[in-house]
Amino acid sequence: MCPCLSPGLVSGSSFGQYGTKLEPHTIKYAIIIITLLGEMRLTSPKVEPAKVSDDLAIQTLNLTKIFNSLVAVDSIELNIKKGELFALLGPNGAGKTTTINMLCCLLKPTGGTAKIMGYDILKQPFKVKEIIGVSPQETAISERLNCWENLSLIGKIHGINAKELKIRSQQLLETMGLTERAKDQVRKFSGGMKRRLSIIMALVHSPEILFLDEPTLGLDPQARRAVWEYIVRFKGEKTILLTTHYMEEADFLADRIGIMDEGKIDALGTSTELKISILEKHTMIIYAWNLTQKVINEMRGRYKEVEVTDGTMIITDKKLDFKEIVDRLHSLGAIVRSAYIKEPTLEDVFLTITGKELRE
Amino acid sequence: MRFWEISKRNLKELYRDPVALGFLLGMPLAFILIFSFAFGGQATRPISIGVVDEDQSQISAAFVSCLENIPALEVVSPVYESESQAEEELDTGGLSIYLLIPRGFGEAVERRQAVDLELAYNEADPMLSQRAVPVVRAVALEFLNIPVPLNIELREREVEIKDEYINYLVPGMAVFGLMVLITSVGGIMVRDRAKGFLSRLMTTPARPSDFIFGYTLPFIPVIIISVAIYLGVGVLMGLSIIGNLGLAFLILFIIGICCLGIGMILGTLAKSEEQASAAPWIFIVPLAMISGSWWSVEQMPSVIRGIAEALPFLHAMDASRAVLTRGVGLEAVKDDFLFLVGWAVVIFIIGIILFRRSMRS
Repeated sequence: MCPCLSPGLVSGSSFGQYGTKLEPHTIKYAIIIITLLGEMRLTSPKVEPAKVSDDLAIQTLNLTKIFNSLVAVDSIELNIKKGELFALLGPNGAGKTTTINMLCCLLKPTGGTAKIMGYDILKQPFKVKEIIGVSPQETAISERLNCWENLSLIGKIHGINAKELKIRSQQLLETMGLTERAKDQVRKFSGGMKRRLSIIMALVHSPEILFLDEPTLGLDPQARRAVWEYIVRFKGEKTILLTTHYMEEADFLADRIGIMDEGKIDALGTSTELKISILEKHTMIIYAWNLTQKVINEMRGRYKEVEVTDGTMIITDKKLDFKEIVDRLHSLGAIVRSAYIKEPTLEDVFLTITGKELRE
Repeated sequence: MRFWEISKRNLKELYRDPVALGFLLGMPLAFILIFSFAFGGQATRPISIGVVDEDQSQISAAFVSCLENIPALEVVSPVYESESQAEEELDTGGLSIYLLIPRGFGEAVERRQAVDLELAYNEADPMLSQRAVPVVRAVALEFLNIPVPLNIELREREVEIKDEYINYLVPGMAVFGLMVLITSVGGIMVRDRAKGFLSRLMTTPARPSDFIFGYTLPFIPVIIISVAIYLGVGVLMGLSIIGNLGLAFLILFIIGICCLGIGMILGTLAKSEEQASAAPWIFIVPLAMISGSWWSVEQMPSVIRGIAEALPFLHAMDASRAVLTRGVGLEAVKDDFLFLVGWAVVIFIIGIILFRRSMRS
């Protein structure tokens, strides 16, 4: 080592000055940069005591979200009862996820508000977060953690003690059929297993309300069915709000269904109620021989819509009497091989209400 | 302790991905090895130097023989008697650098007056003078054996006395390397956002500060290991540590914390993984340039220098250089130190505020 490097011997020169002097302009520049970096706004929302409300778990009041000029959620009014499994059914882009995100306090509504078990999502977001469990649309699990670790993370953030957490995790893993793989890193799991884990991660802290955003998105029909079977196990225990664009899913799982399109809830009710609501139009399909022009003309004279293609007659009208139609066809000389009145599906309900197909 | 739970999770995510971790810790090693091999003083050949002895006294002759005995120098013989000879050699490429011992050198030494030396060098090779000056200075001080005021002039200009370049380089590289860490820090957060995991965590009662600390704590071991690599390899490559290693370590650690916080802010603001990994480079490279990672910022325009001084990086480099290679204590770098700590606090407050805003967009 050079002796020149020992302290005190080197003098003068710029490198001889240790450190950098803090000139007033230095501080000024620092302050300018700090101010540019972030707006210093700390606001603490006033917390009001929760109103112990009736039997409603979720209540939205003119809930609205506008992105730039796009109205994603258009002042919806929803009342979901405690213990109910409610499905928001609608195509992609209908505003379902936006609605859930506002209810989970992830998105600030542009207008209106909502109450979750009486807590206002605007004024008491952290109270709301304590009592909800959310399984987001993306599977949203920690890939390099195993099932236990994933569950423990959420549980501990919610302040569940280790003993209770273990018992609950064990139960949930068993319910979802994940016990055998519980110690494996979850990145090796199939899509269905990841979904199941995602759902129980939303349940590990025993939330009062469970949000399931498209819980079977991207799964094959078999895996989807399996997830449904698991969700059914929690029915009645929890209030569940589920979004889906699979009508079978809403039909199979939901107590009540809200049909959502372009940010609005167009129809609301049980699956049966919704189907009955469109029953002002019935369709009968008849396979028959000898459908002559005379037969067709005669039938067109009696019923609103009659279409015939290749020995199949489709009759649509407000009211259809099965026996009467079959008898009439016989008397006109046609030979009916088979006939049935088509049951409406949620797909028909959706088509009737929104004028669109549910599936892309 | 929600932040602790989040940081435990992130620690596992980080350390269970050996490839990513390898890159993270391999980077400082690669940086410091490449740069110190390229610019370090130890592995280089002796400097071939011409000497012009205009004084022609006994003292100047003794000084020349002293120079000749230094392994780092290769004094071209014979010693020139007039500067014009040496100048000619310099112009024709026979010499790259020569030292002029002016008339009155011996006298000045005897009287313990300021001694003037002049180094002339080929402009195309400025690094040479940076290497030669400390050696000549060291020889002069050793020769005189007493602290005589010594001026070494580069042509008309007073020479900036530099340490060996490695001593300048290591703290600069360490700070630059920690700045590069900015690109990795926000990564986990951005990935979690893309995969919806962050949204899931945001639906729990975790507070903004839980997120910021939960996502930065796992990188603290990375900072410690990185700083240890920079200093450790630096010493192996010829870094001379005179001062308090712990203090230097602490200064570099705090700038590392600042970088973590900046990474976290960018992670909070970034909308995609591509943004998070690309955006920091727009700042890092210019900041490293104006903060004195590789070269001195003394000669830069005052606006640039003002920006560099307002940011923490230059202070970290200057303070750690001062501590490491000149052995100054905390008292001497107190201003820089407090400035760094202040920045670290401010960065984390900004991070928390921004995260809080991002929680309810």
